[in-house]
Amino acid sequence: MTGWETSERVLESGGFESRQRVLVAEPVVEASEAGARTLGVTYWQAVDRFTRGGIRASWTGGGGKLKLLGGATLLTFGPPELSFEGGLVSCRHAIQGGLLALRAGGSVSLAQRPEGDQQELSVTVEEYLPRLAARAGAPPWTGMLYAKVQSPFHAAVSRRYFELLLRSRNA
Amino acid sequence: MNVTVFGATGVVGRALVPLLGKHELTAVSRTARDEPGARWVVADAASGDGVGAALEGADVVYYLVHSLGAGDFEEQDRIAAETVAREAASAGVRQIVYLGGLGADGPDASPHLRSRRETGQRLASAGVPVTTLRAAMIIGKGSAAFETILGLVKRLPVMVTPSWVSTPTQPIALDDVTQYLAGVCANEAAYGEGYDTGGPEVMTYRQMIERIAALLGRKPAIVEVPILTPYLSSLWLNLVTPVNASVARPLIEGLRNPTIAREERIRKLLPLELTPFDEAARRALA
Repeated sequence: MTGWETSERVLESGGFESRQRVLVAEPVVEASEAGARTLGVTYWQAVDRFTRGGIRASWTGGGGKLKLLGGATLLTFGPPELSFEGGLVSCRHAIQGGLLALRAGGSVSLAQRPEGDQQELSVTVEEYLPRLAARAGAPPWTGMLYAKVQSPFHAAVSRRYFELLLRSRNA
Repeated sequence: MNVTVFGATGVVGRALVPLLGKHELTAVSRTARDEPGARWVVADAASGDGVGAALEGADVVYYLVHSLGAGDFEEQDRIAAETVAREAASAGVRQIVYLGGLGADGPDASPHLRSRRETGQRLASAGVPVTTLRAAMIIGKGSAAFETILGLVKRLPVMVTPSWVSTPTQPIALDDVTQYLAGVCANEAAYGEGYDTGGPEVMTYRQMIERIAALLGRKPAIVEVPILTPYLSSLWLNLVTPVNASVARPLIEGLRNPTIAREERIRKLLPLELTPFDEAARRALA
């Protein structure tokens, strides 16, 4: 696993974009519905593993909830939107709300795509409005919880996710 | 083609035997039987008794044996697989077909899943090409996992469930998995290959409970609690379902990890219209 990168920026819309990626020599998942679904399932598994079961995803037909200790709903997601065309394999979930979202909007996408002669694995959160981030015009310290806790947590989970994906491919 | 089926009296074996009717069939059981459709022989893969005789002249061997329920099931499965692998190589068998468990391997895999993986490796250890099909829960009458869920639905109007009920899984109909098993018989493209087999729908165990309950005209209340160990869960299942705790515990330990197909190569090898979950459950309930 090489090419680890993590970046974050605030978009003109006010939404946050966060992206992590690594490069691998071979595709980790097949370009199929099963492969795309594996990207999503493995990500939620990484959240579970990283928090030792403290934060788990719970799914129903209409979507999922990320729950803290089986109680508080941190984020709610729409059902997986699976794609596997033109070398891109991806699983996207719309963010629908929860304690950590200021309001519904944005998405989290797990993807595998060709990058030169390698494959890029990525986690991209787009147009997300985090409740813990500083609001426009507010003092920066009001966003400390997001900057010092949620954002690094997300990047660490992404790293664990990439490791899990690679490990499961090698199994 | 001469085909020998170990585990012919199990849930999968019984459904598979009629699909292999065009072959010369030897069905293996640990106790004497005489049922139509096959030549029945007595053998015990764990002890090795009768295994050599059961494999005489066999071209293809189905290995549908497990020791779930025994305290040392991992060791017993290992020994049984090595015995059959060795005897199959001696008998000139061309292919062993094995039904293993679905789910990513790794250090946190359950003992049951690890044992299923190791069984596949031991079967391949003597050089006979093994075709491995991996399945999650099989929806069919008598399937231990399905009967566990059914027992819960039938007996409990209110369920206090551990967090594994939110784990995604991809159950497959008994009819579908047996068609896949029959389809790889003597199929050279499948020699030495492993395939994930899953049904057409991915769902959580909670959704599965709710859908089976709906088919039975019930609506149980499900209360999910974050702390309920596999040991406690298995004791509880032993109380409220017909499934023994020694069988339930290894199954429950495996439910923490997602069991979904990671690839679909089997669908290209054997195009098959997969049975929807509700239809598979209806057949199992009939």
